[in-house]
Amino acid sequence: MGVRWLRRGGRAAAPYGLALAAVLVIPPLLVIIPGVAPGYVLYLVSLALIYAIVAIGLGILVGHTGQISLGHAGFFAIGAYTSALLTLRLGLPFVVALVVAASLSAAIGFLLGLPALRLSGPYLAVATLGFGLAIPQLVVWQGSWTGGSSGLHGLPPASLPLGALTIVFRTDQDYYYLAAAVLILLTIFARNVVTSHTGRAFVAIRDSEIAARAMGVDLVRYKTTAFALSALYAGIAGSLYAHVLHGISPEDFTVLLSVDFLTMVVLGGLGSVGGALSGALLLTFLQNALTRLPVVHDFKNLYIVVLGAILILTIAFLPHGLAGVVRSVRQRWAARVRAGAPRGDQIVELGEGSAVR
Amino acid sequence: MTLDLPWGQLLINGLALGSLYALTAFGIVLIFKTTKVITFAQGETAMFSTFVAFTLLTAFQLPFALAFVLTLLFAAVFGALIERVVLRRINATTVLNPVIVTVGLSLILLGAAGWIWGYEIRTFPDPVVGPPFRLGTVVVSQLNALIFAVTLVLMAVLFAFFRFTPTGIAMRAVAENRTAAQLMGISIGRMNALGWGMGTAMGAVTGMLIAPINYLDPSMMGDVALKAFAAAVVGGLTSLPGAVVGGLVLGIIDSVAGFEAAELRNTIAFALIVLVLVVRPSGLLGKHETKKV
Amino acid sequence: MSGPLLEIKDLTISFGGLVAVDGVDLSVNRGEIVGLIGPNGAGKTTVFNCISRFYEPHHGTIRFKERDITRARSHQIIRFGIARTFQNVELCRSMTTLENLLVGQHVVVHGGVIRDGLRLRGAGADEARATMRADETIELLGLAGYRDRVVSALPFRIQKLVELGRALVSKPDLLLLDEPTAGADSRESQALADLIRRMRDRFDLSVLVVEHDMSFVMGLCDRLYVLDFGRRIAAGTPAQVRTDPVVIEAYLGEPEREVSDA
Repeated sequence: MGVRWLRRGGRAAAPYGLALAAVLVIPPLLVIIPGVAPGYVLYLVSLALIYAIVAIGLGILVGHTGQISLGHAGFFAIGAYTSALLTLRLGLPFVVALVVAASLSAAIGFLLGLPALRLSGPYLAVATLGFGLAIPQLVVWQGSWTGGSSGLHGLPPASLPLGALTIVFRTDQDYYYLAAAVLILLTIFARNVVTSHTGRAFVAIRDSEIAARAMGVDLVRYKTTAFALSALYAGIAGSLYAHVLHGISPEDFTVLLSVDFLTMVVLGGLGSVGGALSGALLLTFLQNALTRLPVVHDFKNLYIVVLGAILILTIAFLPHGLAGVVRSVRQRWAARVRAGAPRGDQIVELGEGSAVR
Repeated sequence: MTLDLPWGQLLINGLALGSLYALTAFGIVLIFKTTKVITFAQGETAMFSTFVAFTLLTAFQLPFALAFVLTLLFAAVFGALIERVVLRRINATTVLNPVIVTVGLSLILLGAAGWIWGYEIRTFPDPVVGPPFRLGTVVVSQLNALIFAVTLVLMAVLFAFFRFTPTGIAMRAVAENRTAAQLMGISIGRMNALGWGMGTAMGAVTGMLIAPINYLDPSMMGDVALKAFAAAVVGGLTSLPGAVVGGLVLGIIDSVAGFEAAELRNTIAFALIVLVLVVRPSGLLGKHETKKV
Repeated sequence: MSGPLLEIKDLTISFGGLVAVDGVDLSVNRGEIVGLIGPNGAGKTTVFNCISRFYEPHHGTIRFKERDITRARSHQIIRFGIARTFQNVELCRSMTTLENLLVGQHVVVHGGVIRDGLRLRGAGADEARATMRADETIELLGLAGYRDRVVSALPFRIQKLVELGRALVSKPDLLLLDEPTAGADSRESQALADLIRRMRDRFDLSVLVVEHDMSFVMGLCDRLYVLDFGRRIAAGTPAQVRTDPVVIEAYLGEPEREVSDA
């Protein structure tokens, strides 16, 4: 079975391998291309990678477990603020701040998962929406130590103490590699979860809570775990965000950001880790491409309209998102290859094929 | 914090505010009651309709009453069009799909309004002119009184409509049991379009009543719509009286919170909503739908 | 263990003003196949739902293997050894037959999000064992051709078999079957009855089955309970129940139902 997994993983892992190669190769290439400010491009790509982390976590909650969250910017903010405060005010190294931020975010995600057990559909949507709105408001309310509406600025460069040696991230390229490394690790983790016993339990909850309960899936445990996991990812991403930007303010974490995250997941395809990844990259790319169009003064409007249109068109015509498109292309290709071969599945009558004698 | 609050005025303000939430919530409940779709776009359709009214009033210099009626017509048609063009195509198998689509719709309308009319804040004419009423130490503006009155009247009218008229009953039937309704010869499409038309028209009414208070700009309905949404959910998405109860309660809480801890208005309101929902997952007056095992 | 495997005493539950199950007693002994029959709306599935803990009975006790499970949590029931199928098939529609049978072994496979995410030792072996067991059950039920097909695309009677497989794969002591022959013709019902009998013999299973198909039930069950309007109106062997005047009268209210000779 281990061999089979490897083989199956091998084929499905091809796009990831490609992405990995691309990620590693980008920075040196950028220096060669004239007219491109490599630092700025790397900064943008880092941002895309950070959003991708959130999207993957949110994807597990929404796509695999079938829940809904309109407030994930809240977890993103918790991660960002925790990390920023710990490094700025307490001088803790980045890696410690990251771990604390991630843990806090996960814990709050777990807590949010509890009322979510009793709520479904629109009710859950409203509850998470409220959560997402409350977090920035709480930050402003406690402005004395959170920096209030002006935010926190001048974060020290992220540092990673490793025994005698300390890695300090200073340039855009450094942060790019940091974000990429974290994303790669988290993607592997996510894929492992999703293709495992836990992942199956999540999908069982989505497909039929009744069946899930009858099969021994503890809804309390798994729903809160899904929330905590997605919050963990958003918290980690938030922490990275604060440091890549060297500062944050409450306006970075609006409802629109939560909607952005949801759009990435939907566009990429619900229920696919690779989908969430590509959805995030695509949307961030789109957001930036729109700034370059001549109608720059109306950028905000245009982006909002395009975002809305993407949401509607994706649901209407690509309900399984980009991942679905890739899957159906693959299937059609495989079917064409198989066209001549005899059909493998025969209808076996009960009693005839049954091995019970 | 002393408890020496001007309770009377806060209560009246709360009821006024709550009526705004309740009115907006009506549209949401109406659309859900008939099409089983939860629309996150109610605020934006209301805002858009109000901008149309504004254009009729300023660019075309129409009298208020005429502009009001024309806007209602526009809104009704607009709503029906939305249903026909956008919602009919989506597969509402998951709860997520309609949510995403209506969020997308709200974004499109927001951007379109900003593009067409810009983001400057404008003043919207007040439909009622006159001094505010005084009840002892409490002051009620004429507009607020009108809003409160309209809320109660609409609630009664809609309640009666859904209970006693054939069309209203047909609309409920479609929501509760499509197949049975179809077998009885009711056109699902027509009922859905009607539901959206009515809900959007209701939104237009609320927009035109709110605009004199909140001024007119693309984000004017944002906060109100959010609270209205919460009010609808808290009241129970299928219950019109519930929307009123939810709206008024939310309005009072908001008013008190605004007085004592203004920065936390939204947080307090939503914390309470979560609390209510946890205790009663289908809202205060909503019906709990159990799946037959 | 001396007493019955499953023992239900005085089970009562009402919804709103309607009493769905009223003081029902029933028991299943080891190795028995017991049928629960009665006209529509008699409360049969409600009894199942109480056992599965989807409903909260107001009164009465349910004991399984001498343990009181009346207030257990629904996801614990399978751990005690009770697996069930549903009237309207409840499968994980997006998954394949194999995957459904893997989820059916949820309580057998060890895992946790961290263990699964980091692919710690042991996860692979558990998975392999579970897959083997799933494949055995698939062979048993003749579902090999549907192994990797997504269940939502399968015909209804195959879905019912998959659901049966999902219940079996957890190696339960008691199987609760809710209308297993729905949608099946008489030949298929016979085959199903044979299968259940063979399962009982081979795996030392006990079965409690809710059914409408009289010939199926009369031929298969060792004992029967008859419910009407939530109350138990008769109990005994098929021969006894078939000729019980109370039972016949209960069924006469629905002319299409006939207590036929098996």
